[in-house]
Amino acid sequence: MPIPSTIPILEIPWDDVLFVVLAGTMLASGLAVVVMRDIIRCGLAMMVCFGALAGIYVMAGAPLVGAAQVLVYIGAISVLVLFAIMLTQTKAAPTRLAFQTQAIPAAVAAIVFTVVVLLAVGSTTWGGSGQRGATQTQDVATALFSGWVLPFEIVGVLLLAAVIGGVFLAKRERGKDVLE
Amino acid sequence: MIRVILGTALASVFIIGLGLIGLAAGGSRSLTAYLTLSGLLFAIGMFGFLARRNAISMVMAIELMLNAVNLAIIAFASFNPRLGSAGSVIALLVMAVAAAEATVGLSIILAIFRNKKTPLVDEYDAMRQ
Repeated sequence: MPIPSTIPILEIPWDDVLFVVLAGTMLASGLAVVVMRDIIRCGLAMMVCFGALAGIYVMAGAPLVGAAQVLVYIGAISVLVLFAIMLTQTKAAPTRLAFQTQAIPAAVAAIVFTVVVLLAVGSTTWGGSGQRGATQTQDVATALFSGWVLPFEIVGVLLLAAVIGGVFLAKRERGKDVLE
Repeated sequence: MIRVILGTALASVFIIGLGLIGLAAGGSRSLTAYLTLSGLLFAIGMFGFLARRNAISMVMAIELMLNAVNLAIIAFASFNPRLGSAGSVIALLVMAVAAAEATVGLSIILAIFRNKKTPLVDEYDAMRQ
């Protein structure tokens, strides 16, 4: 039995349904990252947010970026953040006070920013075809290793420098605070 | 048991309600919906960066903002055929730079934590006195 191309009663296409679920998951878990008090749950919600965002990348026609999102963000950066959370969790730190005193002005600023961006996005007529096109992975590879090869190499050097700097910064100095 | 069911139902209603923002902005076939999502995610990250006390929470908020920008890049590249595959390439480069930034930022936080014994940024006030 073939699946109908839209939801039977509401006449909504299936990709819109998937888009609604992914967008809602992304926004809800993004809100959870900044609002929840327990910071380890914030880190886990961030992983959910990145996963939903990878799905949105695939829907927008960039499956390679979606795969890289899963590998880099969920696989590497989230784990790094979770490690840092576990290393800096102390019983002495008050966990109740998660927000600064400037939280309310920050919320006002964020809402104003949202309104401005939504007005700008809604009132602009964007050029281009207006059609969603998919990016072929082979085209991405060709572009990355022909025209974009210099930025690619510079990013490689930057990553090497970041790794060395990270090791140097996070390393314990010998004999200084080992005994504490 | 009833609390779990109620909580799940409330959470799914909340998620679908937030997702309807994307549908109201045009659904998955319009550039406006993707840009709206990107702006909302950036605003969420901005609020988190300005409002949280914990330094690692601020790093997480920065990651959210970087992802929002990436989503805007991907959306523009997807709806404008002249950009072609350059959008994906730029997004991949942004991801690599974000990984480098997270590495250095978190190790700086760890180094400060080892000296000050607290991850809260409002207690880093050595230069204020």
